[in-house]
Amino acid sequence: MEGLKKLTGYRTHISIIADILDTAREYSYEGHDKGATVTHLIRRANVPHRRLSSLVSELKASGLLKEVPEESRYQISEKGMEFLKTYRQFKGFAEGFGLRV
Amino acid sequence: MEIELAANLVGLAISVFIGRFAYAGYAAVGSPNLLRLTIAFISISAGFVMLASALFAGPGLSVAINTAGLTAQAVGYFFIAMSHGLKSSFDFLPSKRGTALLFIPFTTAPFIIPGNSIEHLVRSISFILLVYVSIETMASYMQTRKSSTLMIGSGLGTLAAAEIVAWYGFIFPGAFALPALLAKVAGFGLMVVPFSRLGLGRVEKVDGV
Repeated sequence: MEGLKKLTGYRTHISIIADILDTAREYSYEGHDKGATVTHLIRRANVPHRRLSSLVSELKASGLLKEVPEESRYQISEKGMEFLKTYRQFKGFAEGFGLRV
Repeated sequence: MEIELAANLVGLAISVFIGRFAYAGYAAVGSPNLLRLTIAFISISAGFVMLASALFAGPGLSVAINTAGLTAQAVGYFFIAMSHGLKSSFDFLPSKRGTALLFIPFTTAPFIIPGNSIEHLVRSISFILLVYVSIETMASYMQTRKSSTLMIGSGLGTLAAAEIVAWYGFIFPGAFALPALLAKVAGFGLMVVPFSRLGLGRVEKVDGV
């Protein structure tokens, strides 16, 4: 576990949010238009279920993620796409300085 | 004087530009590292304003304004170094973080030179901070192999070289002031090159994030 942590480094809150949104994006447009399940999000974001639930609620409340009615699946919203694009731009900027966003 | 003024204004323009971009990033994604970069470049910009103002001040006041400008820039370098320090502290085991602090006294060694002026003390602090930041940035380059990281790391290294050249003026006063200033501006120039590829269009804040 420690070796894995050394390879990947710590993750910031914003990078976990970006992972969740990116997973939702993959299941919103690329032939999987039903949306991502909680399992998909947990696998990619690599966070416990309880933490994921609070993050998903936060993202839904801010309009970045939308829930598919009666399916417990999540899709990225237009606003979420915009956020992801901006995040990637500034991730490149921070990485230029050897830092994480 | 004209060359010095032009160099300081170019440095000011570059640091304002990077600072503005860092602030846009902080406003959009709320990253603490981008906030620290914003503060760093605001401080560096303020330093350039003071260094340019010092050229128009009288002999006595000029030294004080010059030292204040260099101090403002050292504060800026400190904020960049702080971001790297915080990042690296996560890579240490909690039990070894205390051991890392033992290295701090070694960084004060270059300051203990009898008869040294405040300006030279500030320059040596800036030099140490910039060496640390450029090493950390180059270490990141070794991991990511991104050309933008290499350019910024080289820019920071050039800034460190500029500070040590200027510091050497302690021995031969005024002899290396202009080459050091030009090297400093070249360092900032290297740092701004990667931004041409990052897309510097208007960045809009995503509400509610």
